Amino acid sequence: MVDAAMVREFTDLLSENGVITDEVGLRSYECDGLTGFRQVPALVVLPRDAQEVAGAVRLCAKYGMPFVARGAGTGLSGGAMPVADGVVISLQKLRRILEIDVENRRAVLEPGVYNLEISKAAAPYGLYYAPDPSSQQVCTIGGNVAENSGGAHCLKYGFTTNHVLEMEVVLADGSVVTLGGPTGEQAGPDLRGLFIGSEGTLGVCTKVTVRLLQTPETVRTVLADFPSIEAAGDTVGDIVDAAIIPAAVEMMDSLAMEASEAATGAGLTVESPAALIIELDGPADEVEAEFEHLTAICERHGATRLHVPTEAEERQKVWKGRKAAFAAVGRISPDYIVQDGVVPRTRLAEVLTRIAEMGRDAGLRVANVFHAGDGNLHPLVLYSEAAGEHDVAEKLSTDIAELCVELGGSLSGEHGIGTDKACSMPAMFSEDDLGVMHRVRLAFDPDSRCNPGKLFPTPRLCGERPGKYQPHPLEEAGVIERL
Amino acid sequence: MSETVTPTTVDDLRDAVLDRPGTIRVAGAGTAADWAGTPAPADSVLDLTGLSGIVTHNPGDMTVEVRAGTPFAQLQSELGEHHQRVAVDPARAAEGATLGGLFATADSGPRALQYGSLRDLVIGATIVLADGTVARSGGHVIKNVAGYDLTKVLHGAHGTLGVVAGLVLRLHPTPQATATVAVACDRGASADLARRIADSPAEAVAVQWHAGRLLAVVEGSESGAEARARRLAESVGGELLAPDDATAAWDAHAASVRHRGERAVLRFGVIPSALTGVLDGLDADTGGLDEVTTSPRTGVATVSVPADADVVAAAHRRIAEAGGTSTLRQRPAGAELPALGPAPAAATVLRAVAASLDPDQRLGRGRLAPWIPQPTGVSA
Repeated sequence: MVDAAMVREFTDLLSENGVITDEVGLRSYECDGLTGFRQVPALVVLPRDAQEVAGAVRLCAKYGMPFVARGAGTGLSGGAMPVADGVVISLQKLRRILEIDVENRRAVLEPGVYNLEISKAAAPYGLYYAPDPSSQQVCTIGGNVAENSGGAHCLKYGFTTNHVLEMEVVLADGSVVTLGGPTGEQAGPDLRGLFIGSEGTLGVCTKVTVRLLQTPETVRTVLADFPSIEAAGDTVGDIVDAAIIPAAVEMMDSLAMEASEAATGAGLTVESPAALIIELDGPADEVEAEFEHLTAICERHGATRLHVPTEAEERQKVWKGRKAAFAAVGRISPDYIVQDGVVPRTRLAEVLTRIAEMGRDAGLRVANVFHAGDGNLHPLVLYSEAAGEHDVAEKLSTDIAELCVELGGSLSGEHGIGTDKACSMPAMFSEDDLGVMHRVRLAFDPDSRCNPGKLFPTPRLCGERPGKYQPHPLEEAGVIERL
Repeated sequence: MSETVTPTTVDDLRDAVLDRPGTIRVAGAGTAADWAGTPAPADSVLDLTGLSGIVTHNPGDMTVEVRAGTPFAQLQSELGEHHQRVAVDPARAAEGATLGGLFATADSGPRALQYGSLRDLVIGATIVLADGTVARSGGHVIKNVAGYDLTKVLHGAHGTLGVVAGLVLRLHPTPQATATVAVACDRGASADLARRIADSPAEAVAVQWHAGRLLAVVEGSESGAEARARRLAESVGGELLAPDDATAAWDAHAASVRHRGERAVLRFGVIPSALTGVLDGLDADTGGLDEVTTSPRTGVATVSVPADADVVAAAHRRIAEAGGTSTLRQRPAGAELPALGPAPAAATVLRAVAASLDPDQRLGRGRLAPWIPQPTGVSA
């Protein structure tokens, strides 16, 4: 619990402005982007640099306080939700871009730097930072590290873990270590890769070095309407079979387009049952040849319209239509839940059919926006809190995530497990799998004070002991093996 | 004398670990037996070459699950029938190295510039711990953030921490065509030249300096790759190599990386702009480097130095002082050489992870010493 002596120590370290103790101030940190889960923290602290972060973590250690590191709080899985009687360490003051190293193509950043700021700072040198979550204007690189964020372009370019070289990390006892190194290649086990995506449970990242890539010579984008979801899905299959790796392949259904078009006027065809946004980038001659092939594949599958933006501005408009889709759904439904699951790409049609059936059974509408190239779905479950539909919606959303696991996929492609899906983890991992993860966690943080209650299923969170592991259907069919 | 067991299933592997007391050395094809730290004498050797073959290949999803003991070259050849590949090209593959061995030793080749190493391509794993626990992490989909990425911590673990029984990998299409551009230049000039190549629109997937030439690989379509390589050659004053010459150049490069002689081989990485200075310093320290191959854009180099403990220790130190990391990649028979540079602060974390996953240090004892020191007063 927080007492006056403890607050005084934090204040001595961080100044009056760096410590929030009043009810109203604390309340503004009670949730992240997953607003259904709320918890007012005991204390919020705002260090100004890495040293102060380490100092704050040491004070948490001294008083045995659990803590949660927080960037912009845009996460969608409740990963940054405070812990009861715990401290929130906000990194919003660590916002400096420390270096854009053009020669070595890398950027050194404080964790509170917004994702999009990196590419903006690198743009004058013909460079950019590849991972581009839809929230890139408002999410921070520190949060990206915690969640191993992806984005529309990760099909070709990979995820945060493929772009972070080195990190400075404050461990639970306040000690500071460097994980990773100046090159992708390092001596010894890859602790950097283990830390990335650990959702704040292994420590607090206070400095990140990322790789920057050269801006591609040519970018070509097409917005293609299709007479059915199946036709759009088959198009994606044929693109993969043609050995084309697009920079991005995004799919939207009519409900998602209706919402997004109303919000952005991006030029989406609202009446169309499905649309793909496909982007190719690379050397001009390769891109032009592949683009021709690509449009032929779209036409073969009955594309009803091919819109090819030629100017960068026009292209951005199309992308806005996609990236704004989540928020835009608020225009067609009073409340909604964003789901994030993954299936093997070849099972997209199957999963969409099942989701439509499940939505019908639950009496709720489900809009679909997703990264079709890598099978990462974002079904949006639409409901009305006022009409008492919350619990049904929540259950439908959870069932969809677990359906993804049943089809050989994953509970989460990019939003993380956090508070939201911790109780579904036993659907994907056995007790032994989770046990080994927990052993690693305790090696970093023996007292489980870094973001406790997240990622791992706990009796407190899940109401009961997580159910026994059920063999994966693919395992039963002998397609994959466990032992 | 250690006894060798050759499990053929994950069940067998788990039983072997459970049934045998004492220390265990994990072995694959043996192509990197003389890499990293000298293994302590082990009670048992776990030969994983019996755990071989593709479990499942999903061409439409571009993923494959493979048993750890599968020879990498065989895997590539089977995937090649579907015009797919694992986009890494380590020199050891040609000698029969297994997928698990390449992963455990963090090996990679010239294409790491574009595709990274196996750590970047592995999406799931089945691992067996020293207490017989069998655990899976990741899965069969490229995009997946559920749970810790446990697989990563076994990349570069050299047979410590746990036994990798199988891996799931993401695949890339095999390019229709590949072309190599060669530019004569000395080592000192390679950094600027490599940068010009990187700044060009050629999108070279590998840029390596070896034997007085900078070699750049361009991949793409039948018509596109060659045209781009030709333009690149013109812009940097190099030549497009004929296919046979390109093969010969890359074979010579691989032979240099795999140099097997009386000298010790070091692989290291530093920030690219520091590479030339570090190489010059090492030249002076060691009385002349040999068999030098460098990747000027990633800052990684492989060099040979005299097999003398003080010389190797000094080389590790110089690299560490430049902020880099280094690993011993060949220890001539009988030589006792330091495998790693000074332990970084993060070694405390590594030791804690090791103590948690393999508290009795049964697996790979000695391979990561001194970062994971051998227990004192205990003989194997």
